[in-house]
Amino acid sequence: MLKMQIFCALLVVFREHLGNTLLVLLLMFTLIGMSKRKRPETSSLAQSLVDAERVILKLIKSRENVGLWKGDIKSETRLPENVVTKALTSLQSKRLIKGVLSFQFKNRKHFIAAEFEPSKEVTGGSWYVDGNLDKHFISSLKELCFKIIQKHRVITGEGVHDFIKRVKATTVECTSQQISEILKSMVLDNQIIEVKSTGLAEYHSIPLGKVCYRCAPVGAVAQDTGAGAMASIPCGVCPRIRQCTPDGKISPSSCIYFKKWLDFDF
Amino acid sequence: MPAFPPSQNFIPPVGLLFPSSLNRSKPESTTITAVMVSQHGIKLAVHLISSYFGDVVSKVCECLLRRGTLTLAQIVRFTELRKQNVVNSLLVLGQHNCVQAFAIQQEGGFGEAPKIITQYIVLFDNIIHHMRFPKFVTIVSEELSKECEEIFEGLLQHGRLSVNQLVDRHKQTSNQSGGLYTTLDALQDSFNRLVNARYVERCPAHEPFLAPPGDDETPAKKRGAKSAKVFDVSSQMAEALETIEQRALAAASPMASMRFFIDADTWTDVPGKNSGENPTSATVGEKRKQDSLELNGDAWATNKKKEVLWRVNFEEFVRRLRHKPPKHLFLIRYQRNKHSLGPDTGTQPSRNVRTRLDNGAGIVLSAILEATRSEETKVKMENSDLKNIIGMAQNQEVESIVLKKYGREAYRMFRLLSKAGRLVETDQISNTTFVEKKDAVKILYQLWNDDYLQMEDLLTSWTPRNMRVEIFWLEGLRNVVTHGARQSQFLLWKVNKSTLWVQVLDDMFHAALNLKLRIAYEQEQEKEIMQIPREKLVGDLEKRYKRFRKRRIVLESSLMKLDDALMLFHDF
Repeated sequence: MLKMQIFCALLVVFREHLGNTLLVLLLMFTLIGMSKRKRPETSSLAQSLVDAERVILKLIKSRENVGLWKGDIKSETRLPENVVTKALTSLQSKRLIKGVLSFQFKNRKHFIAAEFEPSKEVTGGSWYVDGNLDKHFISSLKELCFKIIQKHRVITGEGVHDFIKRVKATTVECTSQQISEILKSMVLDNQIIEVKSTGLAEYHSIPLGKVCYRCAPVGAVAQDTGAGAMASIPCGVCPRIRQCTPDGKISPSSCIYFKKWLDFDF
Repeated sequence: MPAFPPSQNFIPPVGLLFPSSLNRSKPESTTITAVMVSQHGIKLAVHLISSYFGDVVSKVCECLLRRGTLTLAQIVRFTELRKQNVVNSLLVLGQHNCVQAFAIQQEGGFGEAPKIITQYIVLFDNIIHHMRFPKFVTIVSEELSKECEEIFEGLLQHGRLSVNQLVDRHKQTSNQSGGLYTTLDALQDSFNRLVNARYVERCPAHEPFLAPPGDDETPAKKRGAKSAKVFDVSSQMAEALETIEQRALAAASPMASMRFFIDADTWTDVPGKNSGENPTSATVGEKRKQDSLELNGDAWATNKKKEVLWRVNFEEFVRRLRHKPPKHLFLIRYQRNKHSLGPDTGTQPSRNVRTRLDNGAGIVLSAILEATRSEETKVKMENSDLKNIIGMAQNQEVESIVLKKYGREAYRMFRLLSKAGRLVETDQISNTTFVEKKDAVKILYQLWNDDYLQMEDLLTSWTPRNMRVEIFWLEGLRNVVTHGARQSQFLLWKVNKSTLWVQVLDDMFHAALNLKLRIAYEQEQEKEIMQIPREKLVGDLEKRYKRFRKRRIVLESSLMKLDDALMLFHDF
């Protein structure tokens, strides 16, 4: 600002002594000089940022749908943190990259090139939302599948999927693969059992040998917790069983779990 | 815990079921006998003998359980008891079918003639059967008559008896109880029914002689001398010792045709029976040993009066219990579903393949029982189904423990690994079971720490440029420094049923011992109450009595239920 004031004052003096033409020429050269003097300071910073963005973008693109998080970018590029941060912000604002929360490391954001869909390794797959397992959705789907199987007595995985699609039982579209995963999980929970069709009787509508599902019999483990012999007694599930000895500090006669169990009003 | 590359089979050292390097707290067997017994199995057996026969006998029994087959001199040395005490203890244990003696020829030293020595094998299974006598009595009472039950109880009480001894006992019992004296014919009939049902058999020979292997021309007596479960030990030394004990048991057993044979003269020399003939005595052994053990019958045991001795046939009861669907094992539900095929079985639609069992299955299973009763008849298909059913029941018992102890997510993961039967990576487990990865890792570590799972560590090292992958197998969880590049660690998990099942069995023995000790403790606490007549138990005393009674019922019924599970893992 001060320079501008001095410059204007000089202009007034020169106009009085030099004339307008010379004054215009002087003005032009002055302006050219100022811009030349200015350019070296701003251009190098801009250049370095652009270089950093280019490097980072290239690195991110090389990782395709897996991407990298900030820590990895820093170590790979060996750029200072502030440069990396600025570059990432700039790239995101230009919509060249996007940030996706990792399901494995909750406080990490993976940066993926915009043209790629984040892989399951990063997002966790269709069951994850913002890096967290969508437990509510999963349990709702399980309940729905169980009701469908109960209603049909025996049904294939595709049958369950078709039924859900037909009646539009869910607000979000579920793929056949997703339904299959849900059913497998329910088998592991012993809510349903997996059988193969014989094509006879209640299986008549299902091709021979095709895998199908039916509800587990009443009294299966998942429905009646602790019904096994060992699970029914304190020792069977005791966390201190290995330290328990007849005459030791932890023993059948002094065991507090035994006492609570026997004091229970059967 | 060291992790082994999949291609390597771990071979446990001789004498140890679980080497300490494989697992920190696995039970170790300290003896090589025909039956490898875990630590708590030994403790339970010792406790049973102690409560039945006293501490001296239990000390001898423990010595045999921990050290294997021994001579009298060795037992005396190890127990530091007086010789006569050891001899008496062995007599008691032999009488009650907990020990089997046999004689072998031992090479003498330089210039010495070979000598005959007697060794003693402990019969672990028969000791444990003492815990389930009430079950056996129930079976006899349900299937046969009251008189049969009474005879049977006598055999359980005394271990082995001749028919004369049975009659004498019956007379004494009748006099004491003031009951009606059953006629001899009725008694004979009851006894015959027990033998025909295979619940009672001739006792094996007291002390058969085992000829040296080269001289042994007689084939082993066909019985299939049962040595209960023999764990897989690949050591040649263990196999050789096993063979001696199996040979001894086979040599002691009566021939299959004689085992349940009641000859016409069995009852003729019983006082009160009409007979002018001399009783046909069983074959009497020619040697009389210097210790005071009873005379040796070549084919079966006889007492000093040359009378045939009879005992309970535990094998038959084990078979009965194996085929009887236990009520509490709700998973043993047998659906005669002709129209479904289980995932693990064949695909022939005409075959009745069971996916689950229920109580109605008794019909089919008893058919299996009848079909397999005769040793000559092998019904392979039904045996294979039974094996599958038992396997399923075992799986479900262990799964219920995991569910109760570690929760539903652990249950799901355990079932996944159990079904897979191979190593599975953490991410795959977490994805298939819908458990967050960090939670999955925690639970898996917990299961591994408690020996439910095996873990292996797969490390991959790669460089960004050439994506060269190097795989390192690690032992345990030691960090391995790799050169340069990034490294990713993959943890692989597996359920090893063969080792886990043995661990579960040991835990069951431990739990059974704890229940018995707790029962003894409760009885001790309330012994004063028990001495007061029932009619005088009023007020607080009555409350205490009722509470004690309730606790005892809970403990004893839990023990019987646990015993069912124990048989599932040990006897079936």
